[in-house]
Amino acid sequence: MKTFQKFYTENKERLFGYLLRKTGNYHLAADVMQESFTRYLERYTDREQSQSLLFTISRNLLYDHARKNRYDTPFEDEQHGTDGNQENLYQVREESRQVLAALQQLDEEEQDILALVVSSGLSYREIAEMTGNSEANIKVKVHRSRLKLKKILHRR
Amino acid sequence: MKDYLISMFVDNELDLDEKIEFVEIIHKHKTFKDETVDLLEQEKLLQADMVTAMPEMSIPEPMPEHDQKSGWFRPWLPPLAGFATAIALVAGLFFLRPTPVPSQEELHRFVIYRPNADQAEIVGTFTDWSPVALEKIGTSGYWAITLKLPEGEHRYSYLVEDGRQIADPTVLTREQDDFGGENSIIRIAAL
Repeated sequence: MKTFQKFYTENKERLFGYLLRKTGNYHLAADVMQESFTRYLERYTDREQSQSLLFTISRNLLYDHARKNRYDTPFEDEQHGTDGNQENLYQVREESRQVLAALQQLDEEEQDILALVVSSGLSYREIAEMTGNSEANIKVKVHRSRLKLKKILHRR
Repeated sequence: MKDYLISMFVDNELDLDEKIEFVEIIHKHKTFKDETVDLLEQEKLLQADMVTAMPEMSIPEPMPEHDQKSGWFRPWLPPLAGFATAIALVAGLFFLRPTPVPSQEELHRFVIYRPNADQAEIVGTFTDWSPVALEKIGTSGYWAITLKLPEGEHRYSYLVEDGRQIADPTVLTREQDDFGGENSIIRIAAL
């Protein structure tokens, strides 16, 4: 029981960091984090604590969320406009907003891998397994994402 | 040039041979060195603590064991695997809080119209998923109960005739539970 508490403490900020970088949206990141820990706690606590599993649950939830939004609420972006964006960022430090915005311009896979590398504390090997890449592939993709991010940040 | 060595360096993924290679390239090529420094600077922004406050989390409520006896209640059994751990976690969260702030509670009245029922009950996160009976309001057909709820999000549903579970018809926010039923979701904010 104690181990779960430790697991939770160790991973809460990492997971939130990943979700925030991945979505650029404080509230969505908070909701998905809540749901991820809830699912983990409900279904998998009898297994060995696994960070990869926790992150996999989160990635699946994000995937479901994106798919739902695509089909159910095609006009959501328009409805929320810039006001929604401001609200989604109000807990985000001023100096980090630009980086978050730049991350959102990467393509989905680049952004996912970079967010995992930067936030999760997982190794290239673990990230490779989780995302279905080879480790060699991850090396190249992580670096490519960083270079692309640099370009985006310098364009501004 | 293997420029991905820069990212491996940033992420502490170089083995000893790669470290040798990395240092040698750095010495030979100024552009490679500059790129490394640029990306390390960028990494400081990327890895910075981005938020002023972490979001608050509520961990699923555990359910008391004695409720498992009643057969019709089975659909509301929480995933038992998580039960003990949930207690530990909730207890842990309590102890981890630097300054315990007493949470605000608000009175909330639950009402449902069931003219033909001879009993109506409510189950939810705030009752630890144990059924609590609603009171019949005269001959109006309405059943009601007023409960003290802590601030935050709560999930619940009503148990009506034959132990059927229904979501609150007056609350639009709902979620499917893991057993094919629906729970209503409300958010209590302190006034």
